[in-house]
Amino acid sequence: MPWYFYLALKQLFPSGRKFPFFTAISIMGVALGVAVLVIVTSVMGGFGYEIRRMIVQTEGEVQVKAQGLIEDVAGITQTIRSTPGIAGATPYVEGPVGVVASGHPAFQMFRGIDLGTVESVANLGRFIHAGRLEDLDDDSVILSWEVAQQLGAGVGTRIEIYSPLLFEKLKSDEVFLPRQFKVVGLFEIGHQHLDSSLIFGTLRAAQELYGLGRSVHGLNVRVQPGLTEVAAAARLNTVLPRGVVALPWTQKWESFLWVLNLEKTINFFLLLFIVIIAAFSVMSSLLISVVRKTREIGLLGALGANRRDVALCFCTQAFIIGVAGTGLGVGFGFGVLAIRNDLVQGIARLLQRQDTLRQFYQFTELPSHTLPADLILTVVAAIVISTLAGLLPAWRAASLKPVEALRSE
Amino acid sequence: MSDTVLTASGLAKTYLSGDRRISVLRDVSLAVAAGESVSIRGESGSGKSTLLNLLAGLDAPDGGTIAWAGSAPVAGRRARFLGMVFQAFYLIPELDALQNVLMAARMVRAPGAGERARARELLTRVGLAERVTHLPAQLSGGERQRVAVARALMNSPKLMLADEPTGNLDEHTGDAVVALLLALCRETGTALVLVTHNVAHAAKTNRSLFLHDGVLR
Repeated sequence: MPWYFYLALKQLFPSGRKFPFFTAISIMGVALGVAVLVIVTSVMGGFGYEIRRMIVQTEGEVQVKAQGLIEDVAGITQTIRSTPGIAGATPYVEGPVGVVASGHPAFQMFRGIDLGTVESVANLGRFIHAGRLEDLDDDSVILSWEVAQQLGAGVGTRIEIYSPLLFEKLKSDEVFLPRQFKVVGLFEIGHQHLDSSLIFGTLRAAQELYGLGRSVHGLNVRVQPGLTEVAAAARLNTVLPRGVVALPWTQKWESFLWVLNLEKTINFFLLLFIVIIAAFSVMSSLLISVVRKTREIGLLGALGANRRDVALCFCTQAFIIGVAGTGLGVGFGFGVLAIRNDLVQGIARLLQRQDTLRQFYQFTELPSHTLPADLILTVVAAIVISTLAGLLPAWRAASLKPVEALRSE
Repeated sequence: MSDTVLTASGLAKTYLSGDRRISVLRDVSLAVAAGESVSIRGESGSGKSTLLNLLAGLDAPDGGTIAWAGSAPVAGRRARFLGMVFQAFYLIPELDALQNVLMAARMVRAPGAGERARARELLTRVGLAERVTHLPAQLSGGERQRVAVARALMNSPKLMLADEPTGNLDEHTGDAVVALLLALCRETGTALVLVTHNVAHAAKTNRSLFLHDGVLR
């Protein structure tokens, strides 16, 4: 071990002292900054990850759409399924409808699914908490818990659904009566946006509601593991007929994901200031150390140390504080993440704001997903900033002349 | 001269004090042979420490030349060629006695078992065998200076420069430290330049010089 590394360690953790107070304060500063960065980037990453999981599990990774309706459903489905890397495809019809149950009106999105193929793309069954997907037929629907609550409906309740075709018919003085459906199940995906607005029915029921005949609005596609959604969409676009395009889910939800990413990036840079402030504290503490140890620095020169090694001694101290603080911060951050839901629920309970939390953050639990790239960026940034904080003290120490340093009072 | 470890010829050093230029050393010449002990006395402010710093290569003269065993003094050779003892001990407070002594060895290479054994042996030789794990704050002034002597001898230097090593010690302890310094230098064949105010200590060296008005006699 070079002497400057050894002395840096000894100056930070002196022999015979159980608790190096100043070192601990410096390390804690960096650790707190890193912990906050880890927590925030993980939670923000969690939002993105949860959204991806929910979207992919309900819609597949790729959507195939046309400028108008897709008429040759069977032909296009066959083309998609025979494309390498594709695990399944299912057609859908989706649009807004008016719903009335027990006198409670509401506007919801009706999604018609093909019962024969939907499970090859979406794992809807796992989200159903009351009733069964198998019970769904052309005269029944499955509601989310939130919609059911809003409508005062439950399994077995009969609801009326008004199609937007009603307005078209009214123009020609025709009456288009609402269709009656029986509620055969309740689902909860966990994403407030989907849970508060979606009704599942059969593809045929949706086609009737919209007067589409045998046409559909699009197809959801499941991609085999190992193939990205972007690559799969690109592959499909080479085989699909003109006017029909395949879009990866990231493109459909591009704006939402961009906002999420922007929030994460802004948060990262804002919170990085905590590490920068901690680095100033490290710099200040090391500058005091240079002043306090001026005669020792002179001694090092007398013992044969060169200026570069004296500078390295102080840079190394900043580096060690950075590494120790970052390590501690990462551990502390993951510790907090492990109990994040208990903490959030505790705070919400204390403030009696559980419902508000659910309404605005769209998740029943605070998600967390740490991307390796985010963690590496946090660790590298914290260590680099801390080490840079040692440059000024290092320069001051190296510029001391041994003779003057030894003479200093 | 092959056994001359230190040669200084025509050394001059001046300092600026405001607009005035003060001449501290004028045409100082000195040669110290291997194993020889030389004392330098002089009044306070006579330039003794300045001369020692020049001889150690810690400061550059304004005139004249210095040679360590025939070669110009360079920082890279200092750790092996030179040992220094100061009035204020200058032990590193975070390191215990053994670690302070080994610090000199670390300037040359990472210490192994051989260096550790030598450091323990030196501490035993200066009477601190039982104090090797004590921090400087746990040692008396005399003990600290003995640790500093052991550190100065750690790399088996050719030349030892001692700048008023008894200045912070009582008379009895100071006598003991100088006696130890002289004995160890004699045993190891290390040349010694001892800067002191004490006539009795100076008398124990092979050669006694006096610095007055910037001139060495």
